Amino acid sequence: MEARPAFSIQRSGAKQLGNLGVSGVLSSSLPLVPTPLEETCPKLPGSQQSSANTASLLMSQSSSPALLQSTTSSHYINENSASWCPEPLPGFLDFPTNTTIQNNQIESNSCAGVMASEEFGKRNDWQEWADQLITDDDALTTNWNELLADTSVADMEPKMAYQVPKPSSNIPVQHSQVHPQLPSPSAEIRPVLTPTSSANSAPTKSRMRWTPELHEAFVEAVNNLGGSERATPKGVLKLMKVEGLTIYHVKSHLQKYRTARYRPESSEGSSEKRLTSIDEISSLDLKTGIEITEALQLQMEVQKRLHEQLEIQRNLQLRIEEQGRHLQMMFEKQCKSGIDVVKAASSALENPSTLSSDAIQDAPAKTELETAQVDCGKTPTDTIFASPALEEGSQDLNRKHKVSQTETPENSEPYNTDSSLQPAKRSRADA
Amino acid sequence: MKFGKRLKQQVQETLPDWRDKFLSYKELKKLVRLISSAPPFLNGSSEYGKSEAEFVRLLNSEIDKFNAFFMEQEEDFIIRHEALKQRIQKVIDTWGASASQPSEAEYKERMGKIRKDIVNLHGEMVLLENYSNINYTGLAKILKKYDKRTGGLLRLAFIQKVLEEPFFITDLVSKLVKQCENMIDSVFPAEEEEKENEGRETITVAGKGILRNAIAALMTMKEIRRGSSTYSHFSLPPLNLTESDLIPSFQLNSPISVAR
Repeated sequence: MEARPAFSIQRSGAKQLGNLGVSGVLSSSLPLVPTPLEETCPKLPGSQQSSANTASLLMSQSSSPALLQSTTSSHYINENSASWCPEPLPGFLDFPTNTTIQNNQIESNSCAGVMASEEFGKRNDWQEWADQLITDDDALTTNWNELLADTSVADMEPKMAYQVPKPSSNIPVQHSQVHPQLPSPSAEIRPVLTPTSSANSAPTKSRMRWTPELHEAFVEAVNNLGGSERATPKGVLKLMKVEGLTIYHVKSHLQKYRTARYRPESSEGSSEKRLTSIDEISSLDLKTGIEITEALQLQMEVQKRLHEQLEIQRNLQLRIEEQGRHLQMMFEKQCKSGIDVVKAASSALENPSTLSSDAIQDAPAKTELETAQVDCGKTPTDTIFASPALEEGSQDLNRKHKVSQTETPENSEPYNTDSSLQPAKRSRADA
Repeated sequence: MKFGKRLKQQVQETLPDWRDKFLSYKELKKLVRLISSAPPFLNGSSEYGKSEAEFVRLLNSEIDKFNAFFMEQEEDFIIRHEALKQRIQKVIDTWGASASQPSEAEYKERMGKIRKDIVNLHGEMVLLENYSNINYTGLAKILKKYDKRTGGLLRLAFIQKVLEEPFFITDLVSKLVKQCENMIDSVFPAEEEEKENEGRETITVAGKGILRNAIAALMTMKEIRRGSSTYSHFSLPPLNLTESDLIPSFQLNSPISVAR
């Protein structure tokens, strides 16, 4: 298997390839390739055209060449077909078999195709050669079309290369070798998180944030196409006409949808199979349906409670940050003037745990100054907790905190530089 | 060691698939320690910038992890929620509003399954909200630590960014949760009489499961919010779980029990 050593050599070269991700045979004679290819394979341009055309459809989804880079995945399938022109490449060891144009990404194929036709001149020699190899392939184009239509194509999540239906059998598929070899190009690609409406050009990496409305449109499309079994991702995608939605999104969503619908008897979702809430309550007699219902209701109550608390907590957190930000802005305005004045005053204000309205009333004006410490923003005001909208039974809390307050308003100096308003026991690391 | 321990406990209690999706709090703490114990650098020096960049990079990758997981789960919930609605509709259509015709037993069975599924779906969604929240809390804490140890000013700006991340914006899940609660009402038999819960025996909640996780989450939340030495204005007030007659005391396998 000559390809193997090629891979290990290939690593750094592959990085350069970027969007091509051609982890093929690299040798010093590479630069020679493009010319001979062009000359001796007259049919190449022709096939190039067709693939370029079909590719351009997908290209339209891409916004920039840079993003094509991101479609590089570390998984490529060896692709080879009769339309390769092995003759003009005598300089390569087993070139035809080791073309290693592995590509399980349609976009990569097409992108490469377009690039070859459009940006040929822009690449370095290696890339040009690789482009050439990728594009001039009728089978490639056909495969690409097939892939689009084929609903059983592996979904995008697992990054395993799959074999294009028509490769020559003598081409080893080097998934496993490629994978660990080229982690960096794909790892560096940050997943693109897109809201539903924005156009998205890195389909394999992007994540669509689904909404009920979007899902409804999806369901409708599926129903129009004859149900979840008969509908194809391509068809659904077409029917939905949602900008920014790619076939990968639809495909994975369709998969989930099918799973959810055809297992209504068993619990929904795999995790549920392992968990039956009812099993948990062992001390209750579960023989009758009534008790099961009770158990469920009990569970429901706990869950509701948790949900409530989470909402409250979240709102508090939001408000805290909002206040902090607001004060930060205010401080920055005032920062220019009167810092000295502030420093003197702030020493009397160090009262981190104060939730009591008393303290707040005592120092309403001081709280503003308090924020004028060096590390501003970190000294939010008491006003946050003065707000009557505190759902957590503020009365209760106020009482508790008055009791527990370790009042040391005299802790002056240490706080001027420290960001957090801690009492002197700063040494105790929290967590 | 409080938050870190709490987080670890929570992760242990959580649904198995979720275990590795939580914040790598310990790792981040180590990094902060590393950064702060290095010889002090002046602000603006390249070394300082580098280590801060590293820290930020790690945080960002954690956030990506949360986002990916969260949105994936959210998508699942949307699908399941819709599927449930359809199932309910179908059962109602087949049997009419009253549970009489064709086979009452089958109706009951179907309904029973639906109820269980609704409750579990509800539970999972709430747990996802909890997931979001606890990760956010962890981020806030680690940022605070970072600022404190290194004298940096990372926290405020960074947390503002976090507030806009998909995993923190739980509005949709919250909405679905409420819808589930409404669905429950139409699906559970009406409460005939007020449950007399005087002799509220301790209920042992064994095994792993959604209910257990929910309880664990509540307890964790309460613990995390207990007053600490670093209590500040950015801290949340202690959690006061007001007593409700409906929730008897629970006892997880461990000796921890939720006081009523």
